[in-house]
Amino acid sequence: MMRKNKMQISTILNYSALCLLGIITLYPFIYILVLSFNDGYDTLKGGIYFWPREITLDNYIKVFQDGNILNAYGITIFRTVIGTLMGIVMCSMLAFALAFKDMPGRRFIVFFFFFTTIFSGGMIPYYILLRQLKLTQSIWVYVLPQLYNFFNIMLLRTYFETIPESIGESARIDGCGYSRVFLQMFLPLSKPVLATIMLFFGVAHWNEWFTGAYYVQNKDLFPVATLLQNILNEATFESATFDATKMNTGIATAMSSTTPESLKMAFIMVMTLPILCVYPFLQKYFVKGIMIGSVKG
Amino acid sequence: MKLSKRYLLRRIWRYRALYIFILPAVVWYVIFCYIPMYGLALGFKEFHFNLSIWDSPWAGMRYFNQFINDRMFWPLLQNTVIISVLKMVIGFPAPIILALMINEVSNKYFKKTIQTVTYLPYFVSWVVCIAVLVKFISPHDGIINNILVNVFHKDAVYFMGEKNWFYPLVLFTDIWKNVGWNSIVYLSALSGIDQQLYEAASIDGAGKWKSMLHITLPNIMPTACILFLLNIGNLLKAGYEQIILLKTPGNSALSMILDTQIIQQGIQQGRYEYATVAGLFQSVIGLILVIIVNKITKKLAEVSLW
Repeated sequence: MMRKNKMQISTILNYSALCLLGIITLYPFIYILVLSFNDGYDTLKGGIYFWPREITLDNYIKVFQDGNILNAYGITIFRTVIGTLMGIVMCSMLAFALAFKDMPGRRFIVFFFFFTTIFSGGMIPYYILLRQLKLTQSIWVYVLPQLYNFFNIMLLRTYFETIPESIGESARIDGCGYSRVFLQMFLPLSKPVLATIMLFFGVAHWNEWFTGAYYVQNKDLFPVATLLQNILNEATFESATFDATKMNTGIATAMSSTTPESLKMAFIMVMTLPILCVYPFLQKYFVKGIMIGSVKG
Repeated sequence: MKLSKRYLLRRIWRYRALYIFILPAVVWYVIFCYIPMYGLALGFKEFHFNLSIWDSPWAGMRYFNQFINDRMFWPLLQNTVIISVLKMVIGFPAPIILALMINEVSNKYFKKTIQTVTYLPYFVSWVVCIAVLVKFISPHDGIINNILVNVFHKDAVYFMGEKNWFYPLVLFTDIWKNVGWNSIVYLSALSGIDQQLYEAASIDGAGKWKSMLHITLPNIMPTACILFLLNIGNLLKAGYEQIILLKTPGNSALSMILDTQIIQQGIQQGRYEYATVAGLFQSVIGLILVIIVNKITKKLAEVSLW
């Protein structure tokens, strides 16, 4: 009897701790979401926590009217779509080749790629390389240097290795080349892992801000993540005086219902929502992918 | 001997199409990874914009000495190592604990929901995470300060600007962002444990705590070792994206790390040689640590990266 009681208490504690963690994780995003749908000046009065008081879409409308932000969206969408497609094609081609255990030199080739994950040239030689390739003035700086990713390659290879090699070999004897085996047999069998890799590449491209912030000087080439970092940077530096300036601009633009802060909230949400709409639906696949990858090491 | 050589050539010929699949990757890795490694030579050269790294004249150990003897060297190194070690000591066990907790949950839907929720911050950019946090703890209208002021009648705290709050913020955001995602591997390790072991242990009179100590922990050790190995090489990087975003003038005494110095001195002020040496220092120490720790884990837990 004693024992059972004790068990129940620990179960309740466990559930409540997990609930608390869930709230801590989720609530900050809900808070921002609520503020992004609230009238900017009304927000200044405070007291909004769970539901907008003066519901408005103005913040979002303003965000999407801003030329800089639209341009940045163009850049981000371009790099996410093109970068993800190219990444998937190149990585899966490579992983397919590396999945043939009998291929001479396979171990050495894998080590050649692996070594770059434990040793690198660091930021400066990389930056100089980008400059010498004239990439720092081009949108391709977001795509080309991110084509291959060792982790993704290994994930794909591990999955391809679960497809019997005999399928590939017998198809070859029937006169198919490796490229047809790859395109017509391996890829259709690998949809789950391809979805996972698509998510990883897509999220990485969507979120990446560092390249834009430090390697690229041209502001017209900034993706949204870098733009947000710039806004954030200015805000934290001015934070001590921010309140005063906000009030001043408030008087000047009393007709408008948005404030720099409320626009920022909408901006944060537009960066977050697309991800939110994608990853829960791929959860089954990427959890499995991570598990397969971790078993093989 | 001759026969095996011909056999090898035949095998290579048989897979010739696959080598063509690999070739673009090799070219890419040479350009974007191995040429920058060669570029490390810049740390021992005098860089001229109109010359390539190859043609620039040698400077010997000048910039290396400059880096080591710089008055910022020890503070930078210390800040970097403290952040990394804090994350390892406090942040590393967090996903293990979370995985153990999730593993205890019997309700399938609750389990799945809590997993989905905790993965969320991992998929969101560090920029967004910090922006959300900054709003949340803002001294003017942040919810935390509202509670402090209105409920506890304390003064508002400018968390981002105060040195004392820097380490707690680093640890909190690090765990908050990654704990769910990192728990996936541990959960898979936990699900791989034979349930009969637990039954046998409970027949032998072992309580929950004992069976965790003697069955659960030894079984997730290899996973923990692999993750530790993957982390240790980045000891001198300290997760710089997060640190750059959390850095403010108020906490810069603690948030100056090697990477912020490399960006500031190298990319922004053009001291390429000095900053290259700093990067070389990071990479070499990282490589040495990986090799040493790999040796240790190989002996203790038969876990190795290669």
